[in-house]
Amino acid sequence: MDIALFSYNSILTMLHGLGSGGGALLTLFASLFALWTMRTDGAVDAVVERRSRNLRWLMVLAALLVWGAVLGGTYLVFPAYRATPPEGATNLAAYPRSLIQSDARTAWLHSFAMEIKEHVPWIAAMLATAAAFVGVRYKSMLLSDRGINRMATIAVTICLVLAACAGLLGVLVNKVAPVQ
Amino acid sequence: MTMAGREHGAAVPNGGALAAFLAAGIGALGLGLVVFLNELGVFEVPAIYGPSGGVTGRTAVGVVIWLVAWGVLHSRWKDRRMESSGPFATALILIAVGFVLCFPPVWHLF
Repeated sequence: MDIALFSYNSILTMLHGLGSGGGALLTLFASLFALWTMRTDGAVDAVVERRSRNLRWLMVLAALLVWGAVLGGTYLVFPAYRATPPEGATNLAAYPRSLIQSDARTAWLHSFAMEIKEHVPWIAAMLATAAAFVGVRYKSMLLSDRGINRMATIAVTICLVLAACAGLLGVLVNKVAPVQ
Repeated sequence: MTMAGREHGAAVPNGGALAAFLAAGIGALGLGLVVFLNELGVFEVPAIYGPSGGVTGRTAVGVVIWLVAWGVLHSRWKDRRMESSGPFATALILIAVGFVLCFPPVWHLF
């Protein structure tokens, strides 16, 4: 399925990076902002109930988007990235891994950036799931219980940092050797 | 009593939250160890999806470790009220170690 300028693989890459990855960053940041600014000193009223309900579904959405980025990246985009060029191929544009490994100046994009992207986002996915689970299980305590709020805030912060680093590295790799 | 009913109580069990975060830490450490040992050539986890290669096997093992740890911890802690600092700090340390083990420059130190 090719649409105008975009190949099937490049569309998958955009959905992975901009859709799932970008959406994950947005929702993680929004969750972090809400956890930080909407916490209470223990009081639970209708406003806190409503805010915590919205927040926990935001955190569930964030976890789903992180998993979407992780699974999509691993099972849909990565095969196109690591495709092996035929023997004697001189134009490596369709083989991103081989292309960046063919130049010493860009080889680090595989040996460092892509190696990190292969594994570290899975840690973010586990942590985002844990935070979403806590939001669903503990409901308004997410905002009213100091301990629960603090743990969720730290977990979402770590997720956001890991996801942002993975996203940045993905941008660098795709800038030099776009999946086609 | 449901969790919603407990929300306004004085001693609400927080074990479920601690189990979730500690399991994420154990999963991160498990994934990091699998990746690290694979890079050292100690053992290789077979791929479960050929086109993506070995990363699918390594991450699948990490996910299984995470889910098993979560299941065990949740079943034991879900109704308990616990001091949170110890288990949560442990979770953060495990996440940090797991991250370091997934960090390529570390592989080249050994």
